[in-house]
Amino acid sequence: MSQIVLRNISRRFGANWALKQVNLEVREGEFFSLLGPSGCGKTTLLNIIAGFLEPTTGEVYIGGRDITGLAPYRRDIGMVFQNYALFPHLNVFENVAYGLRIRKMKKAEIAARVERCLAAVRLEGFAERMPHQLSGGQQQRVAIARALATEPKVLLLDEPLSNLDAKLRKDMQTELRSLQRRVGITTILVTHDQEEALSLSDRIGILGDGELKQVGTPLEIYRRPANRFVAEFIGQVNLIEAQALPGADRPPGTLAFAARGHFAAPGEPLRLYAEEHPSLAGRESVLFMLRPERIRLSPEPPEGAAGVVELRIESVVYAGSAVRIAGVLPGGGELSALSSDPSFPVLPEPGGILYASWEPGDLIPIE
Amino acid sequence: MARTNRTPGAESAGKYRRNLFSWVMLTPGLIFLGAFLAVPFLLLFVISFRDVDNWMNMLPTYSLNQYLEVFTSRFYLHMIWTTLWVAVATTVICIALAYPAAYLLVRAPNRTVRTALYVILVSPLLTSVVIRTFAWIVLLAQNGLVNKVLMKLALISEPLRLLWNLGAVIIAYVQVMLPFAVLPIATSMGEIDPRLRQASMSLGAGRLRTFWKVTLPLTIPGMMSGAIIVFSLAAGSYITPLLVGGRLQPLLPLAIYQQVLQVANLPLGAAMSITLLILVGVLVAGMGLILRRWEGRMHG
Repeated sequence: MSQIVLRNISRRFGANWALKQVNLEVREGEFFSLLGPSGCGKTTLLNIIAGFLEPTTGEVYIGGRDITGLAPYRRDIGMVFQNYALFPHLNVFENVAYGLRIRKMKKAEIAARVERCLAAVRLEGFAERMPHQLSGGQQQRVAIARALATEPKVLLLDEPLSNLDAKLRKDMQTELRSLQRRVGITTILVTHDQEEALSLSDRIGILGDGELKQVGTPLEIYRRPANRFVAEFIGQVNLIEAQALPGADRPPGTLAFAARGHFAAPGEPLRLYAEEHPSLAGRESVLFMLRPERIRLSPEPPEGAAGVVELRIESVVYAGSAVRIAGVLPGGGELSALSSDPSFPVLPEPGGILYASWEPGDLIPIE
Repeated sequence: MARTNRTPGAESAGKYRRNLFSWVMLTPGLIFLGAFLAVPFLLLFVISFRDVDNWMNMLPTYSLNQYLEVFTSRFYLHMIWTTLWVAVATTVICIALAYPAAYLLVRAPNRTVRTALYVILVSPLLTSVVIRTFAWIVLLAQNGLVNKVLMKLALISEPLRLLWNLGAVIIAYVQVMLPFAVLPIATSMGEIDPRLRQASMSLGAGRLRTFWKVTLPLTIPGMMSGAIIVFSLAAGSYITPLLVGGRLQPLLPLAIYQQVLQVANLPLGAAMSITLLILVGVLVAGMGLILRRWEGRMHG
């Protein structure tokens, strides 16, 4: 049984539709991320699940119960906000105990529960501190402890890590994921950080212009983006438009295509070979995605590769573990490649020539 | 500290020049305050220790006689007590009435409405206190508007005595000082992050409990600031009580006014002034201390 179900959720602000007909099921115990650029409606959707906003149309179900019209304080939801929203006039203990006092728990029980929650986020001994005496990471943990203390059915995280510096963010990601697994609580994370979504989630929903563009595991989303929006949003990609060449010579098990905007020589379209795939059958024109890290670069033309193209280097960006190289084809058209550091004993220079090649299976057709 | 390329000497010279500039800019204001506030205040303090003869002429001797008179006569002690409770009552009523008004101001649906509400709130301050207080005479007099309406409705058979008592003084005070309470409360209310209320609700607190546990405690600084302003104004005004209460009300500012301008007993008037100043000062300092403690707890 799925834990959170959204049916035909739409929301209008004035003349704008922030959300259009969103349908989504988040499974029990799942870590689900809503990922999208700013203004895509992801925070609106989270506020609708939390009850701070009403949908213009559609229903929200939690555990099979329709909670669309229910006030936020009756929904049994834990929420962590981007700025943590700790109560500044209450100390750490009282912040975490806030929801427990409302539930009229016994004093000793509250003390025990708060202690357990603070231990779970590794903040033993901080109970008497005031929020302003804590670092950003510690405030973040108090916010998580406070949200989990009431043992809600659902945990909602609104960009909870975006105010932390890069290193702390990585640590908190790991901690958040292991805590979520331990507690087993159904969790929805809203984020614009694709790396965060990819590394944390069981499944991801990509939102763009108020629509769910694709829902899938991180692997599916990254390797098989369903459409151009997802392909362009997740990671950096080369998008190559191509036309089928049904009769052309080709390696076994592949189909031949002629690129539209990429030319091996002036006036000579780049020849592409893609793996045979049911979705390619009978299609005239196809949009292919080629991930930069799938492109092999070598100083000499490699032997026996299915397709090799000369690349004149435009820019080289060294990022430590990886080197990003952008170049242009002899007849026009750009490609960008990502190689691991050890592949270049000496960094190539802009203006130089490299030979790019890839496997037929690296060309992913996009709807 | 930020590191600069300048040598320490050059830096302190620059600092000195900046300081000098600030002092030059402050000089006219300081001279004005010195001549018309500090010096008269010092004189007032000195005069309060002078003795007078039976014709209210100041004698060249100094003693605590004026203060002894203030603190030993039942008349003046009663007056001090009345002054303080009238000021406290005014403050409490002002804060209670200002709170919903501030709420309305902060929750205004858009900027136009909010600006309009601010203008309405502040506009009474554009007319003089005398005029605003006179309006209350028109309303509360024997044949004033309130009595006439009540008579017409046959709720009373003869006019009520609404003017010339402390109730009228408090009503007029509240009306005159309300804006000073609304503004700081509205400011502190507007600074509350709406996500704090959302966090409270997500934890299961309804609107009422969220108000008591989050909104109200976070507006204490605003209420304290408002209370300090209203209390000091209410304890020290004499025009409003004179106009709607009459000159016989047992209020310290009225007594000072009479001693100085009618009886011409300057030393006694000065001693009462210093007494009032110290009392208000101590109470305001106490409220300020509570305010500082609370803010220190929240923001360090």
